[in-house]
Amino acid sequence: MKKTMLAALGAGALVALAGAAPANAAETDAAMLSVLHGVPDLTVDVYVNDELTLDDFAPGDLAGPLELPAGTYTVAITAADAADASSPAIGPIDLPLEAGVNYTAVAHLNEAGDPTATLFTNDTTQLAAGEGRLTVRHVAAAPAVDVLAGGSPVITALANPEEAKLDLAAGTVSAAVAATGTTEPVLGPADVEVAEGANTIVYAWGSLEAENLALAVQTVTVAGMNSSPDGVPAGSAGLVATNGPDSGAGVWAAVIGGSLLAAVGLIWAAARRRAAAGAER
Amino acid sequence: MTRARVSVGVMGGSIAALAVVLATAGCAGPGGPATSPSAAASVTSSAQQPPVALPDIPRSSAALADRPPVSAPAPVRLVVAELGIDVPVEAVGLDDQGRMGLPANPAIAAWYRFGSAPGSATGSTVIAAHVDSLVYDIGPFARLADAPAGTRVEVTTADGVVHAYTLESTAIVPKESVDWSGAFARDGSPRLTLVTCGGEFDYDARRYLANVIVTAVPLG
Repeated sequence: MKKTMLAALGAGALVALAGAAPANAAETDAAMLSVLHGVPDLTVDVYVNDELTLDDFAPGDLAGPLELPAGTYTVAITAADAADASSPAIGPIDLPLEAGVNYTAVAHLNEAGDPTATLFTNDTTQLAAGEGRLTVRHVAAAPAVDVLAGGSPVITALANPEEAKLDLAAGTVSAAVAATGTTEPVLGPADVEVAEGANTIVYAWGSLEAENLALAVQTVTVAGMNSSPDGVPAGSAGLVATNGPDSGAGVWAAVIGGSLLAAVGLIWAAARRRAAAGAER
Repeated sequence: MTRARVSVGVMGGSIAALAVVLATAGCAGPGGPATSPSAAASVTSSAQQPPVALPDIPRSSAALADRPPVSAPAPVRLVVAELGIDVPVEAVGLDDQGRMGLPANPAIAAWYRFGSAPGSATGSTVIAAHVDSLVYDIGPFARLADAPAGTRVEVTTADGVVHAYTLESTAIVPKESVDWSGAFARDGSPRLTLVTCGGEFDYDARRYLANVIVTAVPLG
C-alpha cells in the first residue's frame, strides 16, 4: 500500500509539473515565422534586415519555422543573383511580429499576376480533441474561388490574398478549388490530411492564366493546441473491484452482499470488543 | 470490508498528496518570472546580423505530394511476458462523449491514434484496454495493477519494429484526479503510458472510480 501511495504522489507531482509548463511557454518572448515561396519560375534570395537569410529559395518551398524575438523585421526578396538587398523584386516590407504568435510570410502573385508578399497569422488556438483546423489561403493570380470538400463548397468567394478556416474532424479531406459559384475544379481534387490538434494550411498559388496553379501545404502545431480525451472508461463489470457490491446492484446482490456485510460487521465488532476488553485488563 | 476501507484510505491519501503538490506548485508560481529573463536572453536573434554564415533554416518542398507522413507507424501488438499479457492493438479515436473509445473486448488493446506512437520523437504513446467486461470476463490488463518497476514491456509497430520499454511506475489514481493532458502529452521525452481501470467500483453507475496508470520508458 505504501508503494501505491508513493506512486500516486508521483502522479500528483507530474500533474503539478504539467500544469506549470504551458503557463511558462505562453510567456515566451519569441515569435515563430515561416516563409513560403509562391511565385512561379523565380528563384530568389530573401534578406531580413538587409542580411541574406535564405539563399536560392525555390518556388514551392517552405522555410522555417524561425524563432525570432518579437519586433519588426524588414524583408526584401531579390533575384537569386543579386549582390545585396538594394533592388528587391518584392518589398522591402515590414513584418511586425508579436511575441507568442505564429506567422507565415508568403511571397506570391496578386490577382493581376504581379509579385507581392503577405504576412499571415496562423491560428494556433486550442482545438477540441479529435479535431483539426483547415486554413485555405488564396495567393494565386486568379479571381475569387470556392473551396470544395467532397464536391460541396465549404468556403465561398475567397479572394487573393484572403484566407478562410474551419475546424473539423481530423482525417483526410478531398479538396478542390473552383471559380466562385462553380463546381468545376481548376485545382484538385486532392486528398489533404487534416491532422488532429494542428492547423493544416493549404495555399492555392501560381497563375490561372499561365496554367501553373498548384497547392502547397503547411502544418502548424504548437504546445497546448490539441486537447486530451476526457477520460478512459476501461471497465464495466466490477470483477476486479477493491470494494464489494454493497450499493444495490440488483436484489440478489444486495441481499447476499448485505447479509455478508452484516456478518462481517458483527464479527469485526465482536473482535473489537474483545480487543478493547483485553486492553482494559 | 477491511480491503475496501484500506483502499479508500489510499485514495484519500493520494488526493491529499495531490492537493499538497498542487499547493506547492502554486506557491512556486510568483518565483517563476525570475527565470524568464534568462530564457528570453537565450533566444538569440538571427536578426542580429550574424557575421557571414547563413542561418541554418530548415527548408522543404510544400507540395502536397511531398508531404511527410503525419504520424509514425501504429502499434499493433503489446507484450508483457512477465504478466502473461500478449494482445493485439487497434488504433482508436474518441467515443461519443469525448473519451478514448476502447474495443469492448478487454483482450484487445487500443492505441490513441491522435497521440504519439512508439517511433515518435517526443510524447506519450497511450495504449489502453478494458480491465473487465460482463461479456468477456476479466482481461489481461487486470494484471497491470500489481506490476513492479523494471517489468519489460514490448510494443510492436506496423513496420515490424519491436520497441522495448521498462516499467517505471504504477499508480491507481481516482478518475477525477487523473492528469489526462499529461498522460496524453505529445511533448516531453518518448514514453509509453498503459491505462486501464481499477480500484473501487460504483455498482450503480457500473464504472470504476480509479484508473490504473502505468508509465514505461524506452530501453537503451
